[in-house]
Amino acid sequence: MANLESGKQGIWATLRRPSVKYSMLGLLVVGFFSGIIFWGGFNTGMEATNKMDFCIGCHEMRDNVYEEYKYTIHYSNRTGVRAVCSDCHVPKDWTHKMIRKVKASYEVWGKLTGKIDTKEKFEANRMAMAEREWARMKATNSIECRNCHDFDAMSPELQKKTPYKKHMEAKAAGQTCIECHQGIAHRLPKGFKKPGTEEEEE
Amino acid sequence: MKHLTLAAAVAAISLTGFTAPALALDVEAAKGLAEQNNCMQCHGLRKDKDGPSFMKTAEKLKGKAGAVDEIVKHITSGKKVKLADGTEENHKIAKTMPPNDAAQLKNLAEYVLSIQPK
Repeated sequence: MANLESGKQGIWATLRRPSVKYSMLGLLVVGFFSGIIFWGGFNTGMEATNKMDFCIGCHEMRDNVYEEYKYTIHYSNRTGVRAVCSDCHVPKDWTHKMIRKVKASYEVWGKLTGKIDTKEKFEANRMAMAEREWARMKATNSIECRNCHDFDAMSPELQKKTPYKKHMEAKAAGQTCIECHQGIAHRLPKGFKKPGTEEEEE
Repeated sequence: MKHLTLAAAVAAISLTGFTAPALALDVEAAKGLAEQNNCMQCHGLRKDKDGPSFMKTAEKLKGKAGAVDEIVKHITSGKKVKLADGTEENHKIAKTMPPNDAAQLKNLAEYVLSIQPK
């Protein structure tokens, strides 16, 4: 125990002791380039987890939500602009991206414990997962949607009358994209009713 | 002889009035497709919104041959429709997963036709 303590003190003392062997310039240059390599590597790794191939690397995503997304306008459209998973589910700015990535570690736990490893389990959890994601998007004022979509950029001449009217109403009411546009890239959970379209008594 | 047996079998089936059974209406699937396509933003079940209620459409097409096909065509062709305020615009094209799934579209059409007054 005493040895361990003295060992810890030894390392700490070594770290705190001014270098007698290396010049200040040498340390600064090595530190500078090490920083670049570390930071570049960290961000490259982080970006790699934003690629669609990474997201569909597990069968839970590939066999369920990815299959559905392939039939939507965000995957294939007239102009060839594609929004991949991270475009809608990961904020672009660094701070929010880091927070999202840390929270995503819970999803890794879900993967490890097999929470949604069958179609049946996925469907059983779809409503909870969707509602959690919609709540997150609402809280951020649909930050990912607004990387590309903006109320002010909607043209009354080019957009159909009904959606334009609804968009302007939503803007005036301070609503955000996800409050109406749930399930645009994936199937809606069974039994979900969009707000304002509650079923009349049958 | 074989041909005669086959002909007799076909005749027997025809005489008994055998027809392929129509697939039963899947209400939950139809409601899901309607939600997915935002149908209920403009149509109520029994309440007119920007578009007519499903009930009104069902009444209009009641007993009409080809009613299902007519609705399917209506929701997949993007034809011009008149809104409640008198203006016109192209009807939204209903999308299915996988695309253009006739069974899902027919099921939705049958659901529309099934809406009766309370």
